[in-house]
Parts: sequence; structure tokens; C-alpha cells
Amino acid sequence: MPLSCSQLSVFYGRRKALSGFGLAMQKGEIRTLIGPNGSGKSTALQALAGLIAPAEGKVTIEDVSVATMSRRAIAKKLAFLPQQPSAPDEMTIAQLVRQGRFAHVGLFRSYDRRDEEAIEWALESTGLSSLADRTLQELSGGERQRAWISAALAQEAGILLLDEPTSFLDIGYQVEVLDLVHRLSRERGVTIIMAIHDINQAIAVSDRISLLEKGELRFDGEPRALAESGLIERTFRVKGRFVQVSPDAPPHFDVELKRLSH
Amino acid sequence: MIMDAPATYLPRRGMLPIVIVIALLSLIASIFLGVVDLPVADVLAVFSGKGSPEAQSIILDIRLPRIVTGILAGIQFGIAGLLLQTITRNPLADPSLMGVSQGATLTVTLFLLFTVYIFNPGENTVAELPIAWLPVAGLAGGMIAGGIIYLLAFRLELSPLRITLCGVAIGAVLHALAVGLIAGWGSARSEIILEWLSGSLYARTWDHALFLLPFAPAGLLGLPVIYRPVVMLQFDAQVARSFGLAYRRQFSVVLLVSCALAASAVGAVGPIVFVGLVVPHLARFLAGRHFPLVLPLTVVLGAIFVTLGDLIGRLAGQAEEVPIGVVTAIVGVPVLLVLLRKIP
Repeated sequence: MPLSCSQLSVFYGRRKALSGFGLAMQKGEIRTLIGPNGSGKSTALQALAGLIAPAEGKVTIEDVSVATMSRRAIAKKLAFLPQQPSAPDEMTIAQLVRQGRFAHVGLFRSYDRRDEEAIEWALESTGLSSLADRTLQELSGGERQRAWISAALAQEAGILLLDEPTSFLDIGYQVEVLDLVHRLSRERGVTIIMAIHDINQAIAVSDRISLLEKGELRFDGEPRALAESGLIERTFRVKGRFVQVSPDAPPHFDVELKRLSH
Repeated sequence: MIMDAPATYLPRRGMLPIVIVIALLSLIASIFLGVVDLPVADVLAVFSGKGSPEAQSIILDIRLPRIVTGILAGIQFGIAGLLLQTITRNPLADPSLMGVSQGATLTVTLFLLFTVYIFNPGENTVAELPIAWLPVAGLAGGMIAGGIIYLLAFRLELSPLRITLCGVAIGAVLHALAVGLIAGWGSARSEIILEWLSGSLYARTWDHALFLLPFAPAGLLGLPVIYRPVVMLQFDAQVARSFGLAYRRQFSVVLLVSCALAASAVGAVGPIVFVGLVVPHLARFLAGRHFPLVLPLTVVLGAIFVTLGDLIGRLAGQAEEVPIGVVTAIVGVPVLLVLLRKIP
């Protein structure tokens, strides 16, 4: 199994940000984490990436505990893109994407053809080849986000964790990112977990969805089952209903612009 | 900022040779010019081994050691500043602002305080104090201050900005302690400490150059090893770790290297301010987008800055020479202001 975790609990000081979280990923599976702000999505992703040590439970990559792996060993297997990462403004896209190869080249080995090909592929996949020499400060928000995704792709890891990769993008780029995620999963067998806010996008693109609320896993299953569970309305405290736009389309959540009072 | 360049990048080849030529010119000027007016022929005679004893002594025992000491110290301040600015992601980080210099000042002060009782020299007898050990005392103090910053940074898991502020605060405390000690002193020690404090190459001998000799070359040789980690350390810890960097270990190594370079240089020549701050900015400005040039430019510019600064100080003050620390501060501030205007 490429990635799994069980009984993960994470504390920030005294506050329990994640409690008893578990999931098991199949190769090439796309899973989205959804849940209200502060429900533990980012925490779960960071724990899965081995960036924060859980108080309880463990994460395993290909049946090896993440806690025992070096950062470089993890980075070869798993790429993680945090929310709104920052880099020096004068860095160009090409230079940023190059850093994605660090896990492979290490401190001394020079970049060989294999590395250059990976970088080229990462730039192409995100449609940035022609912009490679632009500095990050010259880019629009969407381009910058794609540059970071490109850097994560250059890592050529079998597992990709994305924390809100579509936030701050216009709808066109959102769809582009989701398409890219879908292609990576289906064509390259990349296992993907991402946190996103748009429930309809989550339902459309995911094989499975995990719904979090206050650090606890409320649902883990296929999108259709989530639509039928009624959990979305309860968890987000909104009124709405799932509609079937066309026979083969995924269910679409139609929200009423009125907050549920409790 | 420094970077691995993609193969498609053509470096600004012209810049480095130009700067190296300037470095050589300032080196030559420093050898030929000085308080004592030696004719060019006499200086040349020294290098062919036929110089008069007087010229021999001035060139080989006075000018050359202080030039070499200055070059080594300049290189060290430059690299230390560049590394600190990079890993704290703060363009204003500098060893002379972040506690290293102040730590060195305090230990040098303490050293003088105790040695006076141990050696018990007569009034105003500077010569009898074991000032040859000042660099070692300074190095120790600088490293201790660096160690305190390091411990606080990791114990409290500080952000880069807070690490910088923490360094400034620690520096202020150490400096206040040192000044408090100095305030209660007699003149012999005050003279030594004041001269040292202003950052000076006056009366630097081959001993000082030898003291620095392990540091500057070790620092230069170590740069390829820490190069990629330094590039990575420009990212958030989370990003760098996701890319596969052992963040804490590499941060520690780079901080250690920059503290060792800065502290040893401060020990040998005193806190020459602004070199560590201005030189990396100037290097970045000259390199533009050609990041691989930043590091070599920093090295050469560090050497130039100190060599020329010292030369100006020697010539401007004549017999009462102006300490180089004063020159670099006076020259450095306008340079910095101009550069800051150009940097977005």
C-alpha cells in the first residue's frame, strides 16, 4: 500500500487538532479531504507528509514508518505542497522547479539527463515551459501556484499531497489543476491526497473522500455515498441538496444561501 | 539569493573578471601606498629581495600582514553576512547586528579585565598585556553568542524574523554588559578595547593572518558542501523539508559556519561593521538574475571592501590613521541606501 495511517492524533499545545485519523490509499487513487475551516485537513496532510510528529498513531509509506525515514527518503516517495508556500521573489520558475530534484541529486551529484527530463516534464505538464525564465514576482497567482505544483511534480514521487491547490485560482486554472491531478493519477499511477474547499470539485475528481470535523473523521468513502449521507449539510451547517444534473454526471451539491441555525 | 542555474543561463561573465581586476588593483595600491612614502622602486626591490632593511620591514612586516589579514577578514564577513541573510530570509541580517560581534566584544572585555589582574602591568603599559590572545577570546565570545541564538531559535521554534530580532536583542544585552565593564576602567585597557571596538587593522601582524588562515579557506572550501542546503534554506521550513532537506541539521551547519567565520574575523580585526551587510547586497545587485555569481562576487567584494577601506583609512588619517571600521561604516551606509532603493 503506498500510503496509510491509523489512529493519528496531533496536538497543538493542548488543543487536539486531529484525533484518531486513519486512511489507506490504493496506488493511483485520488482522495480529497474536505471539512470546515480548522477541521484538521492541513494537519492531517502535514502529519501524512511526516512534517509533524503525531502524538499517537503512525504513518507508513509502502509499509515503512515515516518516523524512521530521512527527509530525503520521504521526498523521493512523497511530494507535499503546503498552502501558500513562499520563495524568494527573484527566483525564476525554472530554478524553483529545479529544487524539486533535491531529493534525487542530494548535496553533491550534478544534474544529469534524467533530472533535466524530469524538470522539463514538470514544466510541460503545468504549461509553464515558455515562462520558465520568469521570476516568481512577475507571475500571476495562478501561474505561481502552477510553478509550485510543477516543483512538486519534478520530485517524481509516487504520492502527491496538495493542500488547497486550487485556492486563489480562477475557475479556469482550478479546472486545469484538477485535470492535471486526474491525468497524473490515471496515466502515471500517482497516488494523490488533496484538501480542497469546493465540495462539487471534490466529488467530481475523487475516488474517495474523507470528511473531517473538529479533527475527527466523520466520513470515509465514495463521493456518491457522501452525497447520500446528508453529512455535508450537517457538518458545514448549510442548507442544500444534491441534484443529478445529467445521468452520468457526479451528484452536484446545490447550496441555499442561508445559514442553518442550530 | 543564490541558486543552481539552469543550463540555459549565460552568466554575466564580464562582472566577475572586472571585480577581480579591481581587487588586484586595490591590493597593489595597498602595497605601494601608505603613511610612509616609499618610492615605487624601493617597493619593487623588496620583492626581488634587494630592498633596504627599512623598506623590507615596512612592506613585509607591516603592510603585507595587515593586507592579508584584511582580505581574509573581508572574505569572512562577506560570506557570513550572505549566509545569515539567506537562512534568516532577512536582508538586514548581519553578524555585526546579530549578537556575534557583541559576544566577541564582551569576551574580549572580560579577557582584558582578568588579564590585568593576572599580569599586573604598570600604568598604561599596553605592550605587557597578552593581546595576542584577543582573537581567541573574540572567537569564543562570538561562537557563544551564536550558540545562544541557536538554542533560543530551536527551543522556541522561532521564525526567521524572530531569530533575527532575537539576535539583535541578545547583541544589545551583551554590548551593554561590555560597555558597563569598560566604563569602570583605567586607560590602558580602554585604549586597547577602543581600538579593537572600532574595527581596526592597525598593527596587525602575520600572527593575525595565521590565526585567520584556517577559517577563510575552510569556509571557502566548505561552500560547495553547503551550497544546495543554503539554496533550500531560502524556503519555508515546511517546503524545504518536503523537498527532502534535513532542515534543522542544515540550518545548524550553515549558522555554525557563518558564526565561525564572523566570530574569528571579529576576533582578529574587531567588529568591522557593515561589510557583512553591504557586500552581499552589492554582490546580488551586480549579479542580477545570475545567482551563481553571487557567491564568488561576495568573496571578491568582501576582500576589496576591506582592503580599500583600510587603505583609505591609512591615507586619510596619515600618522593618526582612521580605523577601517569607521571607513566601512561611512562608505557602507550610502552604498546600502542606494542599493535598497534599487531593490524592490
